[in-house]
Amino acid sequence: MTARLARLVLGLYPLAYRRRYGEEMHALLEDGRPNARTVLDLLRGALLAHLRPQDAPTGAVDAADRVRASAVGVLMCWVLFAAASFAFYKTTEDQPFSAAGHVHPLLGDAHLAVQAVALLASATVMLGALPLIAAALMRARRDPGARSTVILPFVPVIGFAILTAVVVAVAHSAGQHHTSSASSGVAVAWGIAGIGCGVACVLACRAALFATPVAPPRLRAALASGTLVTVAMFVIAAATAIYAVALAIDAGSVAGESNGPFQVLSVTASLIVVTVVMVAAAILAATATRRGWRVRNALAPPAQ
Amino acid sequence: MRYIGERSNDPALLVLTSLADGAKHGYAITTDVEEFAGVRLGPGTLYGVLARLESRGLIEALPAEDRRRPYRLTAEGSAALEHELQTLQSVANRGLDRLRVAEAAR
Repeated sequence: MTARLARLVLGLYPLAYRRRYGEEMHALLEDGRPNARTVLDLLRGALLAHLRPQDAPTGAVDAADRVRASAVGVLMCWVLFAAASFAFYKTTEDQPFSAAGHVHPLLGDAHLAVQAVALLASATVMLGALPLIAAALMRARRDPGARSTVILPFVPVIGFAILTAVVVAVAHSAGQHHTSSASSGVAVAWGIAGIGCGVACVLACRAALFATPVAPPRLRAALASGTLVTVAMFVIAAATAIYAVALAIDAGSVAGESNGPFQVLSVTASLIVVTVVMVAAAILAATATRRGWRVRNALAPPAQ
Repeated sequence: MRYIGERSNDPALLVLTSLADGAKHGYAITTDVEEFAGVRLGPGTLYGVLARLESRGLIEALPAEDRRRPYRLTAEGSAALEHELQTLQSVANRGLDRLRVAEAAR
């Protein structure tokens, strides 16, 4: 179990490390007896490898794969960011929040900004992803062997849609005959399943993208979309932070109410957690984007 | 004994020292380091150090044998190791001399 976990943690290393040292590290894990300390050491190593790009092995990753990795990195961050954004939406959807937004313009404006930029960013994600999806589908059409790789990203999405439909149907049929702790438990489990499906979808997209030849203009477009999405993440995170501060100042009673599935956090504490997750996701996305931009000019020119 | 510093068991220094008598692959480095320094380098630490030393030109990789790639010191790595060890030796000699003088004065 620990050995398997250690091998999984190797997947957290930057692409250049995995390409250059992945086989050796697997061999080293097979030679030794991985334990919990090994797993922690690998986690620390993976984190440091991300934080010290200057030590990354050179030449292990070509420019196209670097941009692929950047695009996937931004997408992964977007999934985490979307989960935090959903928590923001659920926290602030009730009437007292919209009433406070009408009375205090800064609150209303910040809330509107979050929604508008989130909508634009979602559209940008789709715009950047569509050319890559088209390339993958074209490849699947030509090469039947690649079909399972291309279809795989849709599986977690369909699975989560079915799960959501089941949860909604059960909630409706139960009506008022369910306890608040039971519905909180279901909500938490649904949220975790959603994040899990999102991560699984991105990992499957990653496998499909790395198996698909993509023309440099499409990769450049994906990089540009990723950059815009990253900027949007920072804007949304800033708007959320402004909203949290404004709510605490202008509508203290609403800000102090219990919130969340088990009512363990106040609204302000929830918004702080949401903002921290958003900022962390935005910083990681910025790191991934920066790595892509570094090699942008090294992308091979489109075939004549 | 209280632990007062980490220079002598800095992973980079340990890896360079391990490679001083010839090329070794990852597992051989960890067992060698454990033997002469009593420090078990985890795979994350080891490959972080190997990447850093390789990017600075202090070690170089040899062709892989099976899935294991041996590493050896470059000329620059040998010089850097020698310089570092001489500095450590000088510090050690100075410290020991002073302890002896203080002991004699008591």
